Amino acid sequence: MSQQADVRAVEIARRLALDQDIACKSDGYASSAQSYADRLAQTGLDKTQIRGLETLTYTTDKVSDVTDWLKLRVGRDEKRDRWARKGIGRELLATLERLRDDAREIADEVKREHPLPDKDIDLERQVHLRLIREYLKHLAAHFEYVKAGGR
Amino acid sequence: MSNLAGILTLRRLVAAWSDSSQEEAARFVDSHRDLLPRRITSAQLYGLVNVVRSAHCFADVQRFVRHQGKKAERAGRRDVANYWEEVDQTLSSLRNNAKKLQQLIDSLPLTVDPQSGLDMLHLQLAGEFVQHLIAHSLYWSPIPKER
Repeated sequence: MSQQADVRAVEIARRLALDQDIACKSDGYASSAQSYADRLAQTGLDKTQIRGLETLTYTTDKVSDVTDWLKLRVGRDEKRDRWARKGIGRELLATLERLRDDAREIADEVKREHPLPDKDIDLERQVHLRLIREYLKHLAAHFEYVKAGGR
Repeated sequence: MSNLAGILTLRRLVAAWSDSSQEEAARFVDSHRDLLPRRITSAQLYGLVNVVRSAHCFADVQRFVRHQGKKAERAGRRDVANYWEEVDQTLSSLRNNAKKLQQLIDSLPLTVDPQSGLDMLHLQLAGEFVQHLIAHSLYWSPIPKER
């Protein structure tokens, strides 16, 4: 019973550490995400599509759902005036993929500082998805702000 | 393991597997890039995804893929027939992945026997793989021309 309580305490500590690390990274993403939002606002995209992407990231449990969604939108943009305009969709995809490095860093640190009996090999992937959510949250917010005449 | 716990565990395992299989699907597409989009058309690819999503068992998917291969063979398009043969082999081989996932959980939820549970899981993995396959096949954004 005591061992169970110890594991539970580590789980809680790990969760708090994760929240803190992700929040810290998220603040660092704001400027880069806003830059994408400014560029996307120059394309033919409207807020429905950006909201669609944001909603997807919050409802899926797979990183690949987000990247597949973007790939399809880039591929279907035959006029190249929306997701495929000046390679913006492709760049955004690469940026979201690169968040995996931050996810690995966070997951490794949290596992080292708060070790649990199980190896939790899925942690990096889950952190990656959460970082993508944070990134796209900034992007979507700034996109709407720009579209409403904020800049 | 309760039914709900089983469902959640399975969902998480499939999600992790799906993310890890995306790279393999992209490699598959890139190795057949010369056939896209003219010989393997978007319509054929959407046909595949529709079949995978509506199929009740993996055999339905296999039937469709083999039919596509035979059609290409009859039309004398050996390269296209090879493509569908490779799709068939790749999707069929996912049964081993399904078996591995099945071993990781005590019981598959909402199934009466392990065999149909395995087939359901195989079909689900095929659906994930095909989603990656289609997305990467249609993904095409050339470097913008300098003005």
